[in-house]
Amino acid sequence: MAIDWFAIAPEIALTVTALLVLLADLNLRGDAKQLVNPLAAFGTVVAIVFTVLLWGEERTTFGTSFVVNEYAVVFKLLFLGSLLAILGISWRFFAEGRYFQGEYYFLLLTAFIGMLIMPSARDLLLLFVALETVSIPAFVMAGLRKRSLYSSEAALKFFLIGVLSVALMLFGISMVYGFTGTTDLAGIAAAISAAGDPEPLLLASVMLVIVGFGFKISAVPFHFWAPDTYAGAPLPVAAMLAVASKAAGFAGLIAIAFIAFEPLAEVWAPVLGVLAILTMTLGNLVALQQRDLIRLLAYSSVAQAGYMLIPFGLARSGADGAVVNEAAVQAVLFYLVAYAVMNIGAFGVAIAVNRRTGLRSIADYAGLSARSPLLAMALTVFLLSLGGAPPTVGLWAKFAIVQAALTDVTPFGVVLMVFLVFNSVIAFFYYLKVVKTMWMDEARELDVQLQPGFNLSTVVAVLMIGTVVLGVLPGLISGATSLTSLVAAG
Amino acid sequence: MSFEQEYGTVAIFLIVGAALYAVIMLVNRVMRPSVPSPLKLTTYECGVEAVGSGWSQMNIRYYVFAFLFVIFDVEAIFLFPWAVIIGELDATTTPSSLFALIAMFLFIATLLEGLAYAWKKGVLTWD
Repeated sequence: MAIDWFAIAPEIALTVTALLVLLADLNLRGDAKQLVNPLAAFGTVVAIVFTVLLWGEERTTFGTSFVVNEYAVVFKLLFLGSLLAILGISWRFFAEGRYFQGEYYFLLLTAFIGMLIMPSARDLLLLFVALETVSIPAFVMAGLRKRSLYSSEAALKFFLIGVLSVALMLFGISMVYGFTGTTDLAGIAAAISAAGDPEPLLLASVMLVIVGFGFKISAVPFHFWAPDTYAGAPLPVAAMLAVASKAAGFAGLIAIAFIAFEPLAEVWAPVLGVLAILTMTLGNLVALQQRDLIRLLAYSSVAQAGYMLIPFGLARSGADGAVVNEAAVQAVLFYLVAYAVMNIGAFGVAIAVNRRTGLRSIADYAGLSARSPLLAMALTVFLLSLGGAPPTVGLWAKFAIVQAALTDVTPFGVVLMVFLVFNSVIAFFYYLKVVKTMWMDEARELDVQLQPGFNLSTVVAVLMIGTVVLGVLPGLISGATSLTSLVAAG
Repeated sequence: MSFEQEYGTVAIFLIVGAALYAVIMLVNRVMRPSVPSPLKLTTYECGVEAVGSGWSQMNIRYYVFAFLFVIFDVEAIFLFPWAVIIGELDATTTPSSLFALIAMFLFIATLLEGLAYAWKKGVLTWD
């Protein structure tokens, strides 16, 4: 069995970088320790170069379990781009906060190796390993402020719920293997369609496998960890969990739902559709009550996961469902890219405000427009985009979901669209409340100067420009996402 | 075997068990001399007396050693099948013996970096 080294070059680049970061951290002292950040960023850029070179290729290695195609490359670029942005907003936060910098960057890179594997994995076991490689460093990173009780609570809740859902998922995987005799995703699909009427126990195990990814994307029955973990973890880690880790969960969910369990779409699609309705409604309603900006972003990210689950509710099995499924996957992918741009940006502004002042409640953002007009402008753009206002990329993200529903109109699809519209209105209320606080409310006296630093400012500026430019020219993303077909042709 | 027969076996087993216990305790009570003393009420008549509550804290350093042990234990699990296979490989097979050798040493080197990290952070010194 020959290994296609070029296909796994991005993963190898990140692995080598992670090991170098750990070595560098051991040999650097004091202030020099922050140099591991540019080292990590350099490794990320190398990985990005390799990933871009893989564009347009169809490669398969490790048997059939690792596939690189356009779909995987788009996902990998999304992850590596998020990694670069998170490294940018992490630098000052960790350098000044007297954290364990080397450990943080090592764990961050390790988590992203798991994410890079996720969209390429075509085997239940590899998917499981990738999911764990994302989760385990994240447990540690959430508890990195080890003298803070909130951080420990964040890590413990995340760990307990994470381990429980992964155990259920592993149980499901073992039963799926028992029914189909293979862990290969395409093989599972073939075995299920050959078997005819599915056994109830098989359907139960499919649901168990979905639970594991439901935890990662914080869909509603498994969302309890999200607000507490985001609020307690260091803010760049919260940004990582809200964006990259969620995108990794969706990559895995797409692979098992649309490849392995595609013949059973009539069973899981309504379930995921109902979960989508519950997730967005509950997330938005609870977000209305939040006074802390990070908790508001946490519940808003739960609601956003609900929007991204809608296309799963539209899926159908068989040859006539292929068009709908294709549109659904593209809608999720488009939404994920847009969501990454706007949500990392929002967390970036929250870090800029929080790092010097320690402020995090929404009321403290009053008068931000006077103190730092650019940061206030950026946060306004990101929040409007999360709500879905023109001319931002958020509008087109929602539009992509509606478009997927319109490829084949069904009564359930119409119900989902009604909920999407109502929820968008609810969401605007709390996003605009923050915007109003920043621009209109009376500021309290504050003598602390906000110093976002060069890296954070650059990341926020690039993301803000990206939000608007992609809002005017959405074709830049959709051109890439519409090319991608999920299953490798070769 | 019918339903009654299967559960009849269980019932007989229960009755015999209970009867055996009753007989042994009865014989014990009839035969033994009665010499009570406070020493007989202690937890262990011989052996070390338990001190403190059962919820006492363990030294956290044991955790690090246990952790390192597990890592190298797992490494050994990967080494065994590799050691069985490598003898049958040569330059003409896929993978070649050189490839297998380098691959395993990369794996060991990765783990060694973890050990070096632990060493440098001072978790291997006891006091």
